[in-house]
Amino acid sequence: MKKVCQLFLIVSCVCSSQNKQLLYGFNEVPQALLINPGTQVENDWYVGIPLLSHLHANVGMSGLSAYDVFAKDGRDFNSKLRDVVYSMDDKDVFAINQQLEILSGGFAFGNGYKKNEYLSFGLYEELDVFSYFPKDYAVLAYEGNFNNINRTFDLSDLNVSGELISVLHVGYNKKVSKRFTMGARGKIYSSIVNVNSTGNRGTFVTVPGRDNFYKHIFNLGLELRTSGLASLTNDENSDVGSDISTLKRRILFGGNLGLGFDVGFTYKLKDNLTIDGSIQDIGFIRHKKDIENHKLDGYYEFEGINPLFPESSQGQTAQEYWDEVAEQYENLFEVEKTKDKYTTWRPVKLNAAINYAFGSNSSKEDCDCMANDDAYGNAVGVQLFAVNRPKQPQLALTAFYYKRLFNQLRIKATYTLDSYSSTNLGLGISAHMGNVNFYVMADNLLKFQNLAKAQSLSLQLGFNYIIKTNEKQ
Amino acid sequence: MKIVKVSFLCIALCLVTISCVKDVDFDQAEGIVLTPVIESNLLFFDEPAPSFVNENGSEVSFVKDSVVVEVFNDEFVRDNLQKAILLFEATNTINRGYEAKVDFLNEADELQYTLLFNIPTAVDNQEVLVEQEEVFEGDNLEAFKTTNKLALTLTMFPSTDGSSLDEDSLGSLRFRSKGTFFFNIDTSE
Repeated sequence: MKKVCQLFLIVSCVCSSQNKQLLYGFNEVPQALLINPGTQVENDWYVGIPLLSHLHANVGMSGLSAYDVFAKDGRDFNSKLRDVVYSMDDKDVFAINQQLEILSGGFAFGNGYKKNEYLSFGLYEELDVFSYFPKDYAVLAYEGNFNNINRTFDLSDLNVSGELISVLHVGYNKKVSKRFTMGARGKIYSSIVNVNSTGNRGTFVTVPGRDNFYKHIFNLGLELRTSGLASLTNDENSDVGSDISTLKRRILFGGNLGLGFDVGFTYKLKDNLTIDGSIQDIGFIRHKKDIENHKLDGYYEFEGINPLFPESSQGQTAQEYWDEVAEQYENLFEVEKTKDKYTTWRPVKLNAAINYAFGSNSSKEDCDCMANDDAYGNAVGVQLFAVNRPKQPQLALTAFYYKRLFNQLRIKATYTLDSYSSTNLGLGISAHMGNVNFYVMADNLLKFQNLAKAQSLSLQLGFNYIIKTNEKQ
Repeated sequence: MKIVKVSFLCIALCLVTISCVKDVDFDQAEGIVLTPVIESNLLFFDEPAPSFVNENGSEVSFVKDSVVVEVFNDEFVRDNLQKAILLFEATNTINRGYEAKVDFLNEADELQYTLLFNIPTAVDNQEVLVEQEEVFEGDNLEAFKTTNKLALTLTMFPSTDGSSLDEDSLGSLRFRSKGTFFFNIDTSE
């Protein structure tokens, strides 16, 4: 348990969230094109340093921080845990999102002197774990049904999904006019492992009964679907090494395949006023291989056992009656295993921003290879992010300030409001040295003094090799 | 190159020096304790007086049957059950007295515990309500945890006035029971 918690924190500081508010619109970094395929590209070609070009990780939990539970404050651990459990509800979430770019690159092309089209491509790995807090299950575990007669426990509170996928993608970007740029990216998903239990329904309730003290009503509709997992857990070997090599084989078309796309645009209302937006991951994965689903389905009212006077009107003997009761009970809790194929939808993400540029670029006198459009050295704006989740979308609103410092340095500072926190300050830096670009971005900086108090953390970093020609523009 | 170095240094500072995890102790997680209390129905019946008369018209004064209840000696229950309270309740409107006996038997059919429950006569079919609570703690809880079968024996006492029940006798005997099970689930154990 301790190790899990520490790992959790380490993951949270080495990585960042689905919301890449710092990277969005940060056009000096080629990976900004992955969030908005219709952004303004500022290079002629680039190659991401393999495995180092984009590392992203984000951990978020609404409703609690590690500190709330694990603080060394002399209070009893279980009473702290209980307080946290009771303060959370079934809308509180735990989320982990991690991406690692394996390969990436892009180049400009087009007819004539001005290359106004851009093709980018790459392969990345993504891990996405998302769970709602199963409130009613927690209450049942804490209290049982004793103090909860007539309380309906909602079994749909169990809503959890996790997947490890690889994404092979190709994007096309075109500067249609001076004002308008658009783009799209096609994706082939290869699901390495998928586990989900998101369509649960049903209830459990104990009500005062007629024949006996109570009537326990079980109405169960639970299902756990998995793909890519059975072959790892059911195989004879317990050798992690061979499991890992099995996973590696699935990275390129070896898993369950799916298709998806992203679209995006940038439009300049004025020279210094821009709106842009994108929708990512409109797509699905069809799970056909290596499926193992577990299903619990049934309805049963239990009033107890009547051993002496079985319903003899049906001509049953006591033994037959009892056998039937036992069978009904067993059937109710019998987990059915299936290999039914299923489809999962990728969480759709929406980004939109308005951006106002001002001031002069202090380095404009120099040969500014980065300058795509203007001489403005500062920008402020507002961004909106939304991601589709099983119960309701998660939203985040970000205000940002962007500054060019010297020729080689770009800085973006953000303030983000979301379901995790209202004090989320982030900072991103992109530095160019020669043709090498390095960027690092992290949010929730106020919590860095004590990561245990943070409810969400994210970090992105990477290295690229970028070529820009002076003739551009 | 200087700038790259500087930014690297900044980040390294951020992540390594400034950021830390203070004043927390993850060892605490080893001792999560849950104390749910589960209420569950047990045995029941509700029979009118004529049920104690057989096809030949004579009284059936002794009824016995048993039920296998594997849940009491389930491993989870054995490890975590701290206390159990069983509540039996009888509502009699039959003009006869009864004795209910619940035997707790283990897998080898050896008697672990017996519970006797007297149900007085309902004179003139006036309702008689009796309750009996059995608390299982300590030694008898251990006996309870080895139980895998409950045998219920219902004996009808002869009438004091020499009358006997027939197809038209009034009243009924309602028997209800439930268990309240107190668990203490400690993950550190």
